[in-house]
Amino acid sequence: MNHRPFEDWLLEDQPLTPEQKCDLQSHLRLCNSCASIAESNLALHTAHIVSSSPGFTDRFKTRLAHRRSEQRWRQVIGTLVLVLGGLGLIYWLAGPIVQEAFNSPAEWITTAISYFLFVLTSLQALGEASAILLRVVPNFVTPIDLFVILTMVSGVGFLCILSIWRINRVPQGV
Amino acid sequence: MNEEMAWVIQAQQGSDEAFTNLVDAYQKHVYNLCYRMLGEPESAEDAAQETFLRAFQHIHRYDRKRPFATWLLSIAAHYCIDRLRRRKFSMASIDQDEDEGGFELPDADAPNPETEVMHSEQREQLQGLLKRLDSVDRAAIVLRYWNDCSEVEIAEALNLTVSAVKSRLHRARRELAGLWQAETPRSKPERRPNESPAF
Repeated sequence: MNHRPFEDWLLEDQPLTPEQKCDLQSHLRLCNSCASIAESNLALHTAHIVSSSPGFTDRFKTRLAHRRSEQRWRQVIGTLVLVLGGLGLIYWLAGPIVQEAFNSPAEWITTAISYFLFVLTSLQALGEASAILLRVVPNFVTPIDLFVILTMVSGVGFLCILSIWRINRVPQGV
Repeated sequence: MNEEMAWVIQAQQGSDEAFTNLVDAYQKHVYNLCYRMLGEPESAEDAAQETFLRAFQHIHRYDRKRPFATWLLSIAAHYCIDRLRRRKFSMASIDQDEDEGGFELPDADAPNPETEVMHSEQREQLQGLLKRLDSVDRAAIVLRYWNDCSEVEIAEALNLTVSAVKSRLHRARRELAGLWQAETPRSKPERRPNESPAF
């Protein structure tokens, strides 16, 4: 039996003209397959909205309060673990150094001063090296090369910003 | 600005009372979606509550350009789909509780008891058949026929394309009809003379 176009009319909920309705009616009397589509259509169109039992909002409020309390406890315990862990780690890492510093203060002060001087001289050397580079590089790099390099760097920067934006885009539907 | 949007804005600013108003306004639709998806009143209640909790926690992410109902139903549909997948994964077949049904669907406007009994049976049968559909197809059917969502809204809610929604709805309805025919092989729709049952 040819189900077209009756099946399409039924499956797509198309609005029908009186003649089409009449044709469909005649077809449905003979065709079990299309009649079952029509029956399931009827059931879908007459189906009711089911309501929850009374007091849904009150139960929600209770659940929300319970969830908040749970989260608060989780935060407190998390913070406590983090602080105690951090303190333990600091004690484990810095304990021997502190103890040594108290045992021989002169040695500790000498080490600190030498470290400070090392950082200072390193920075000074870095500054001098950069100044020399800035004086020398323009002799080798043409303005066009410089333009290309700067464009590439900007491009990479733009890609980074774009990636960060895409990752942080607000999702919908949770 | 309508009242609903005012509640949404207040809820985004941290007002519990405004969010409670939203719960009041949408509980029926969310619960119905969950019930049609999961098939049991207890699971539906739990899923609906969880939907509102998730919505409350993520209300700041809600884009005001979209309809709030679609956003909320999207959360509910995704939650139910996940739940059904977990249920399927844990080998607890949904067919096992097929005959549990038993949930009363009150109808105060019933024209006569016989018709009401027949419609009630049909609704129970429909609920049983819905359980056999794929979870995403089921969500599409429920959003279309119970929540009157357009194909575009269903696509937004289920993260699908509009053509995918059309094809899923078409497939699901054909499957429903097939199952309906298999369940009631000799039944004939009760129709008035010269009237199509679908219209």
